Amino acid sequence: LAGIELPLKQWPELIEALLSNNNQLPAHTRQATLETLGYICEEVSPDVIEQEQVNKMLTAVVQGMNSTETNNDVRLAATRALHNALGFAQANFSNDMERDYIVRVVCEATLSPEVKIRQAAFECLVSISSTYYEKLAPYIQDIFSITAKAVKEDEEPVALQAIEFWSSICDEEIDILEEYGGDFSGDSSIPCFYFIKQALPALIPLLLETLLKQEEDQDQDEVAWNVAMAGGTCLGLVARTVGDDVVPLVMPFIEENITKPDWRQREAATYAFGSILEGPSPDKLMPLVNVALSFMLNALTNDPNNHVKDTTGWTLGRIFEFLHGSTLETPIITQANCQQIITVLLQSMKDVPNVAEKACGALYFLAQGFEDAEPSSSPLTSFFQEIAQALLDVTHREDAGESRLRTAAYEALNEVVRCSTDETAPLVMQLVPVIMMELHQTLEAQKLSADEREKQNELQGLLCGCLQVIIQKLGSSEPTKYVFMQYADQLMGLFLRVFASKSATAHEEAMLAIGALVYSTGSDFAKYMTEFYKYLEMGLQNFEDYQVCAITVGVVGDVCRALEDKVLPYCDGIMTQLLKDLSSNQLHRSVKPPIFSCFGDLALAIGENFEKYLMYAMPMLQSAAELSTHTSGVDDDMIEYTNTLRNGIMEAYSGILQGFKGSPKTQLLMPYAPHVLQFLDSLYIEKDMDDLVIKTAIGLLGDLADTLGSAVGPLILQSMSAKEFLNECLMSDDPSIKESAEWVKIAISRATNF
Amino acid sequence: MAPHDLRRAYKRPAISDQQRRRELALQRQEQARRDVQLQARRLASTLLSLPPEHEQPSEPEPEPESASE
Repeated sequence: LAGIELPLKQWPELIEALLSNNNQLPAHTRQATLETLGYICEEVSPDVIEQEQVNKMLTAVVQGMNSTETNNDVRLAATRALHNALGFAQANFSNDMERDYIVRVVCEATLSPEVKIRQAAFECLVSISSTYYEKLAPYIQDIFSITAKAVKEDEEPVALQAIEFWSSICDEEIDILEEYGGDFSGDSSIPCFYFIKQALPALIPLLLETLLKQEEDQDQDEVAWNVAMAGGTCLGLVARTVGDDVVPLVMPFIEENITKPDWRQREAATYAFGSILEGPSPDKLMPLVNVALSFMLNALTNDPNNHVKDTTGWTLGRIFEFLHGSTLETPIITQANCQQIITVLLQSMKDVPNVAEKACGALYFLAQGFEDAEPSSSPLTSFFQEIAQALLDVTHREDAGESRLRTAAYEALNEVVRCSTDETAPLVMQLVPVIMMELHQTLEAQKLSADEREKQNELQGLLCGCLQVIIQKLGSSEPTKYVFMQYADQLMGLFLRVFASKSATAHEEAMLAIGALVYSTGSDFAKYMTEFYKYLEMGLQNFEDYQVCAITVGVVGDVCRALEDKVLPYCDGIMTQLLKDLSSNQLHRSVKPPIFSCFGDLALAIGENFEKYLMYAMPMLQSAAELSTHTSGVDDDMIEYTNTLRNGIMEAYSGILQGFKGSPKTQLLMPYAPHVLQFLDSLYIEKDMDDLVIKTAIGLLGDLADTLGSAVGPLILQSMSAKEFLNECLMSDDPSIKESAEWVKIAISRATNF
Repeated sequence: MAPHDLRRAYKRPAISDQQRRRELALQRQEQARRDVQLQARRLASTLLSLPPEHEQPSEPEPEPESASE
């Protein structure tokens, strides 16, 4: 109720009323009050409650947390309430005394005899680390001592929160350093305090110690989360935060433990090595990886422990992910060791499911590293058949449902196909009937239990995904496309049958595959439209699974480009649905910008026939445009979204203008021209356009001049866009912006000279 | 107000292959849209007898620069 009424200022007395409960009342009433305050803080946004009330609320909460509070239930409720209330404490954290007091009470609560209170207190510290990172400097040393003690000695739920504190600090520093962009220009609004770098000598041994606390069979338990897993994850984040500095501190641990008889030591050493492969420079890691590679290959086959093999397979995958590829100076994979690597990986694909899954993952990144290789120099070419067969064999294993194995095998096959060279195109072609047959079989299966059906849908999704990759690969060059087209009818028939299932994933995958097919078949796709149309509409109506809706919007664009004016018979239905989508509050906001772009695709395809939709589309575009220019002072996510929205709106305008170009009906667009120019001007004034928006904006200015010509010339000359914005684009460092601007300049001069 | 789930991705790639395929499809569509628009604008330039543009419609890029980004 508070969640609804407080923002509307309809229950101003609530907080006061609750706080009056807190004096000298029975413990269970105070507990209930604190829980209620906690729930309110979870539900309502901080700007809804006046600072004066926030202060009173925090006072009550912090009082309840204090060590003088003798009732543990009250103290726990207060600690949990504080966790939710921290977002309200912005002003209080800016005040040194108030902040000191809150942090001190939280730190004291981490020492409570009650495990749940300690856990909740550490949870508060985690939250403080991300919300008030810049205020932490005075406390960081004490917090290190507290967290270190908890990691070493406390019960698991508490230790996990203590590790999470450091992971969270890493997240903050990674973000800040990314904003610095490595050039230390200080672009970030928050300075980096380098807490991790300073804590490194003590933090690394602490984390390494956790790695030895593995649980038996944790790799087969998909929901497992323990100190060893959290510690390794944190170590990986530390490596990304500090880079090279982590290496000398971790290497002695690896060297000491990697050959020990106890599997825990070998696994911990391998996990440590795998964890530090992202972050440090290739120069630092390359010599180590060159030595480690053959050791790892041997361990993957011969280590007696599955857990060690699992982590070894994962580490090999990380080696290939971060230290193999065309951007690296010295290759770690050579003609000499490639054969051995592939033999070992294919061998491991026959191991227990969790190990086989890691082998598939390693193969994924091995293939990816050859993505940009010269066609003749990809060593995978000669192994293509063998690899593809081995992966298909994995998908047929009876236990492929365990440990995500089947998914990993198809994903690896996808990457092997994506990164394959022309030489293996005939082999990729041979995969088409094989995968089609598999998909066919899933569609024939009858009388399945709910569980079996779910698995069947998952498999259909994987097979459609694989076909999507194959279609894209074979469709990307003319000769293979020509041969591949023999399968188009059958493929389309299969995809349409997938829509009979109820599974959103299967629908999305089938839609993605159809999108790839539309792109390859071009205008010939028209023959499938009668049957396909209802599924297109169904996809556009799927608000709930917004990914399906988003993909379908993209496919509508593909269909427009492929069919051009042959899409006309379907346009009424498509436009109706797109307009409904835009008006819906249910639909995820991320789908809306692509819908605008889709207007442009449709208009460009059907030209002046878009006339009948103008009266619906234009007001939508106008109001969205107005909305997208009033966004100052919002967060980065909102700015990014706004720019995506602006881009979609302008793509719609451009498509409509270009579609009408040269038609006698061009004058129908004249009434909208002032608004378009005003929109462009206000974007220029806002000064927060990203590069893509600048490119689209300058293009739109040109389309306006080009399509409407002299009718709009005087209006354009009055606009800021035609002067300042155009001049800025003419002087842009980006050649594509500059080139567009030169075209726009000529288009404007044509429009104003006639 | 139970404790929040702490579980982070463990031994998993940063993005799934499904996400990658979505992104690649989106890239292909954006590229195709740019190419069609460029073609329309180039046509406009030709009709206006303007100097030809240097830029060629680019091939759709089949892959992003890095999968893990």
